[in-house]
Amino acid sequence: MSKPPLLRRYWAASALLLALSQQSWAQTIDADGFKNPLQQLEFNSAQTQHEFERATLEALNISDPLEQWNRRVYHFNYRFDQWVFLPIVKGYTKVTPHFLRTGVSSFFSHLGEIPTLANSVLQLKGHRAMETTARILFNTIFGIGGIWDPASKMGLAKNNEDFGQTLGYYGVPSGPYLMLPLLGPSNVRDTSGIVADYTLDFTVNWLNVAKESERHPEIFVLKIVDQRYITKLRYGEMNSPFEYEKIRYAYTKSRELKIAE
Amino acid sequence: MLKRLLTPLYIALSLLCALSLNAQAKQVATDYQFPLTNAFEASIAGTPSALRPILPDDADIRQRDYSLRLRPEREFTLPSNFWPVKTFHYRLAKQSGPAPLIFIIAGTGAHYSSNTTEYLKKLFYGAGFHVAQISSPTAYDFMVGASRYATPGYSPQDARDLYTVMQAIKKQQRTLQVTDWHLTGYSLGGLQAAFVSHLDEQEQSFNFKRVLLLNPPVNLYTSVNNLSRLVHTHVVGTSETRTFYQLMLDKLTRYFNSKGRFDFSEAMLFDLQNSSQKLNQNELAMLIGSAFRFFSADINFTSDLINRRGIITPPQQKINDGTNLTPFFKRALLCDFECYLQEQLLPFWHSHFNNQQATQVAVDKADLEQLIQASSLYALTDYLSSSKKIGVMHNADDIILGQGDLGFLKQHFAERLTLYPYGGHLGNLDYLDNAADILEFFHE
Repeated sequence: MSKPPLLRRYWAASALLLALSQQSWAQTIDADGFKNPLQQLEFNSAQTQHEFERATLEALNISDPLEQWNRRVYHFNYRFDQWVFLPIVKGYTKVTPHFLRTGVSSFFSHLGEIPTLANSVLQLKGHRAMETTARILFNTIFGIGGIWDPASKMGLAKNNEDFGQTLGYYGVPSGPYLMLPLLGPSNVRDTSGIVADYTLDFTVNWLNVAKESERHPEIFVLKIVDQRYITKLRYGEMNSPFEYEKIRYAYTKSRELKIAE
Repeated sequence: MLKRLLTPLYIALSLLCALSLNAQAKQVATDYQFPLTNAFEASIAGTPSALRPILPDDADIRQRDYSLRLRPEREFTLPSNFWPVKTFHYRLAKQSGPAPLIFIIAGTGAHYSSNTTEYLKKLFYGAGFHVAQISSPTAYDFMVGASRYATPGYSPQDARDLYTVMQAIKKQQRTLQVTDWHLTGYSLGGLQAAFVSHLDEQEQSFNFKRVLLLNPPVNLYTSVNNLSRLVHTHVVGTSETRTFYQLMLDKLTRYFNSKGRFDFSEAMLFDLQNSSQKLNQNELAMLIGSAFRFFSADINFTSDLINRRGIITPPQQKINDGTNLTPFFKRALLCDFECYLQEQLLPFWHSHFNNQQATQVAVDKADLEQLIQASSLYALTDYLSSSKKIGVMHNADDIILGQGDLGFLKQHFAERLTLYPYGGHLGNLDYLDNAADILEFFHE
C-alpha cells in the first residue's frame, strides 16, 4: 500500500527539518548527549592566567599586627565554644519550647533596635530611622514589649546599624583586626563601637532592662545564651587549616559591605 | 486531516529525540522542569526553595556527632593547632527501631555537615533510614583524623580509608538495629562509593544492598582539570586595577544599595541573578574554580605537613596555636591540583603502590597514565557493568564531565543511569523530581 503523496512530502519535509535542527545541535551537544558547558566560557590566554593568584594574595593582605595574640584567642574561643557554649545552648534548646526561645530572641532583638535607631539618625539615614521607630512602636505595643515581632509581618524589615558602622560611615578606618575573647572577630574601630552601643543601651535603659540586669544578672546570662543560640557560626565549619584567615577576610569584607550600604 | 498528518510527524520526532538523547539510559520524564538551564548558575545556586521536597526538621531528627580515635599517633606528632581534628568525627541520625542504614560520602573537600550532606541526610531520614555522614577523604578533618597516608587522590586507597571508617562506625554502633546497608556519595564521593562497594565485594563487611553514585567524575583527571581551568576565565579587563574579588564585592555593594538593606541568604542569590548586578557566566565559573583552588590549598598544606615532605612547610618549622600560617597558606594557594599531583601524589603513589623500575622520565608519564586509570571509574568497568545494585545519576551539562564520559556511563550502566538534561554539578540534587528518583532507587 503506497502512502498518499501529501504524507510522503510531509515526511521529507520533517526529515529535512530534523536534519537541520540536528545540525545546529551538533555544535553544542555531543552524540552521547553531553552539553560540555565549559565551551560557553571565554578563557584568558596562557600568559594572562594569573587573576586568581593576584586577587587571592591581595585579599590576604589585612592589617593584623596582633596576629599571634589573635590566633590564640581564636583557639580559645573555639575550645570554649565546644566545651562550654554549645553544650549550654544544647541544654537551653532541650528544656525550652520553641515558641519561648523565639520570644526571647525577639525580645532581645527588640532591645537592639535602640542602637540601630540612634546610629541611623547619626548617619542621617532618615528612612531607616523612621522604619526602626515604627518597628519599636509596633512591637512594644502589639508585640507586648517585643516578645513578638508583628512589625516584620507588616513588612517592616529589621535593620542593623551599630556605632562601628557609624564611625565607618564617617570615614574612620577599621584599624587592626582583633579577635575578641568570647565575642569573636572584630577590629579596633568596631570594638570601640561595641563599647559605645553598650553605654547607650545602659543610658537609655529601654524597658528598664539594662538597669534590671544589674540586679538580676540572669537576664544578662540569658541574653548571651540567646545570642549564641541565634548565631549560626560554628568554629571548624569551614573545615580548613586556614579558617582563621578565612574568617578574618569574611568579617572585614562583610563590615565594609554593611558600611557602604 | 490535520491529525492524520501530525501523528506520523509526532512519532518521528519523539523517536528521533529518544534515539539522539540516549539509546539505553532510563528516560527522565520529558516534562523535566528544573528552572536553571545555565550549568554554572545551577551549580552555585541550587534549586529554588519552592521546588525542593518537604524534609524533616532538624529538631525532629535523633542525631549526634560521634568521635573515633583512628590515628592516635598523630595526637603526638602533629602541632597543637590541629587539635580539633585529631580525633575523627562523623554524624549519625538514628531511627527509633530497626531500619536500613545508609552511608553518605561527602564531595571534594567537604565536611560531613556540609549543606549537601545535610540535605541528603534529611531526605533519607524522612524515608526511614538510619543515616551516617562521612567527610570526604580529601577534607581536612578526614586527612588528619582518619587517612592512613593523608595523600588523597588515589581512589583505591581513599576507598580503603573510607572502608576502615565505616567498619569502625559499625563496631561503635553495634547496638543499632540495622536491617540492610546502603551506600551513596556525591561528586568525588560518588566515585569513591563505587570503589568502596567494589572493595566490599571482597571483604563482605556490609554486603551493600544498593549503591547510588550522584554526579561522580568518570575520569578523575578530566574533572580536576575542568575545575582547575575555571579560574582562567576572562573576568577582568587588562586595564582593570581591581581584582576579581573586589569586582564581586562592588557588584554586591551596588546590589545591596539598590535593595536598601544588607541581607545575605540563599534567596538573595536568586534575586541578585535577576538584578542588573547579575554575575555573568565567566564570573560564576571563576567563583567555582576559586573554591576548588581553596580546597586544593588545604589538601596541599595538610598532606605536606602530615608527611613532613617540606614542600609547603619547612620540616623544622615549629607550629603552635599562635603561629602565623599565612605564608604557608600563600604557598599552598599558588600550587593548584595539577601541582599537588606532580609534587606529592604521584611520587607518593610511585613509591607506595607502583614499584616498577624504569628511567625517571618514562616513569613520570607512565605513572600518571596508570594513576589516572586506576583512580577513575574505568578501573571498575567490569564490576560496574555486571553489578545490578549500583546506579548512577548525572546531568548532561555537568561541569566536571568531559567528552565521552556520558557515553561510558551509558554503555556500562545502561538502564541504571538516570540522566537529567540540566542541573550543572549537583544543582538539581534537591529538586523535587530528583529527590523522588533518589528515594525510589533505594526502595526498588
